[in-house]
Amino acid sequence: MRTSRSLAVKKFCRTISSTGIQASDIRPLPVLRETMDYLWHLLNSSEYPFEIVHDFIFDRTRSVRQDLSIQNLVNDQAIGIYEDVIKFHILSHQRLARSCQDSDASSLCYLNTEQMMKCLLSLFDMYHTIHKINSQSNKEAEYYSFFVLLHMGCKIPKMANSLSFWYSQLPASIVRSKEMIFARTILRCYHLGNFKRFFCMIADEATELQLCLVEPFLNEVRARALMYLNHSGYKLQHHPLTHLSDILMIEELELEDLCRICGLEISRSGDTKAFAPKQTTFSLPTPLSKSSGIYISRE
Amino acid sequence: MEAMHMVALEIRLLAEKADRELVMSGKNPDKLQAAGSFLMKVFGALAVKGPKRVGALYVTCQLFKIYFRLGTVNLCRSVIRSIETARNFDFEDFPVKDKVTYMYYTGRLEVFNENFLVADQKLTYALMHCNPQSESNLRKILKFLIPVKLSIGVLPRRTLLEKYNLLEYADIVTSLRRGDLRLLKQALDRHEDQLLKCGVYLVLEKLELQVYRRLVKKIHIIQREKEPSKAHQIKLEVLVKTLQWLGITMDVDEVECIMACLIYKNLIKGYFAHKSKVLVLSKQDPFPKLNGKPV
Repeated sequence: MRTSRSLAVKKFCRTISSTGIQASDIRPLPVLRETMDYLWHLLNSSEYPFEIVHDFIFDRTRSVRQDLSIQNLVNDQAIGIYEDVIKFHILSHQRLARSCQDSDASSLCYLNTEQMMKCLLSLFDMYHTIHKINSQSNKEAEYYSFFVLLHMGCKIPKMANSLSFWYSQLPASIVRSKEMIFARTILRCYHLGNFKRFFCMIADEATELQLCLVEPFLNEVRARALMYLNHSGYKLQHHPLTHLSDILMIEELELEDLCRICGLEISRSGDTKAFAPKQTTFSLPTPLSKSSGIYISRE
Repeated sequence: MEAMHMVALEIRLLAEKADRELVMSGKNPDKLQAAGSFLMKVFGALAVKGPKRVGALYVTCQLFKIYFRLGTVNLCRSVIRSIETARNFDFEDFPVKDKVTYMYYTGRLEVFNENFLVADQKLTYALMHCNPQSESNLRKILKFLIPVKLSIGVLPRRTLLEKYNLLEYADIVTSLRRGDLRLLKQALDRHEDQLLKCGVYLVLEKLELQVYRRLVKKIHIIQREKEPSKAHQIKLEVLVKTLQWLGITMDVDEVECIMACLIYKNLIKGYFAHKSKVLVLSKQDPFPKLNGKPV
């Protein structure tokens, strides 16, 4: 397929020095907005395999961000563009995790998360800047919550500063927003081992993007739940899978697979499948296969 | 050396004043940041072999104050590394006052990073060596030391909290003693802003597990008085009802999750029976002491 003026989008290229760049090389804001809209359209309509589309948009959005930062543009529209780029990364985060199970693709996931993080941190700087002129984005709280939710995944890049410190620097109105309280609470439930509330809250309160973001982490959470139940349960009273599948919001067949991956033997008595606690063969697998989301059983 | 100390202190104070004025006239406050860069150079000049190096800790502390004020605490890392790799420095040579301030700030950084054992060591050092007349300094240290101590199971007396005006922790301590989950949540809620700003909110939030443990222990004690032979078995329903009485709605599944976690983390010894919905405590030492290890 050949390219054309209407199809070609400027590539990302690492600038070594700013002396070679001319003003005519940099796209102004309206053009960048059009570019974003075009890329967005591509994301939803392309017939190419997702990895290829992702790769293209990843590169081109990076170039858009570069043009924005060279011009030092910090205003509502620039923020809108950044918010859209992050949206792309989040949707990719979910789709890549679902479609890829091998190590090649997992490095794609890692790079995507890394870029998402960079983008989020730049966006937060921009939010901070417009606060000074008494303006704010109406999506702020949600985008701040993404940073918190990323702390659930292990091996997330650039988490050098602590979350405690990060909260201490945020305005109270953000930290106490609905979206942030959601993120803070499920992170707390995760650390406290309250899996029931963890999954219930996600099912009831997560926004669409929040759900996309946490989805790839869910199987790790479920594996930990199995670990606690296996460790602390009574050997002679088996834990039925149907009950677990309700609490952990995962389809029973997928739960069976997960148990097996963790080294848990499934016992069968009549129609019910269960696992007996205190199995010494249990081990938390790393890396874990990514889940296909929240399954809510219908009564 | 004293002259240098004076200069370092005045630079910071003047820069803070200058920034306040810049903000009031709508300009960008960059004087404190500049003071920081300047003091880094001063530090570099002192970090050499020779008698000058004893002054370096004082400058370090000024830098800490600047970085904490500006929120750029990641910049503390390089000075800390210089001080602690100790090729030019012997920590014991520094004046006590500077050591106390240094331990206070590095202790606070450890609190941010949730390294509670190290934070305990540093803040306790600061407390022990702090001038006993300086109540405001003692208060500052205790403000961060108390949450750390709570997380390893050491509770302060109310008299301590009253003496140093740290009553925001009073209800939290009470909730730990009583196993009162509702009180913990209320206390965290009431002081949320302040606790978040200090960076101790997450530390205190995690105390929830210890409060559950205390609650279970209380139920165990009550059961032991009523029917000693069956005391080590606690029906999960009883826990649900107790929590309900405290105004907290939790179903049996949720309680089971939490019990599983408490057992896993060795806060409770025993197991839970899923089908019978019973928590069975070990007959020996069902509530092992935390022993100074964070949960």
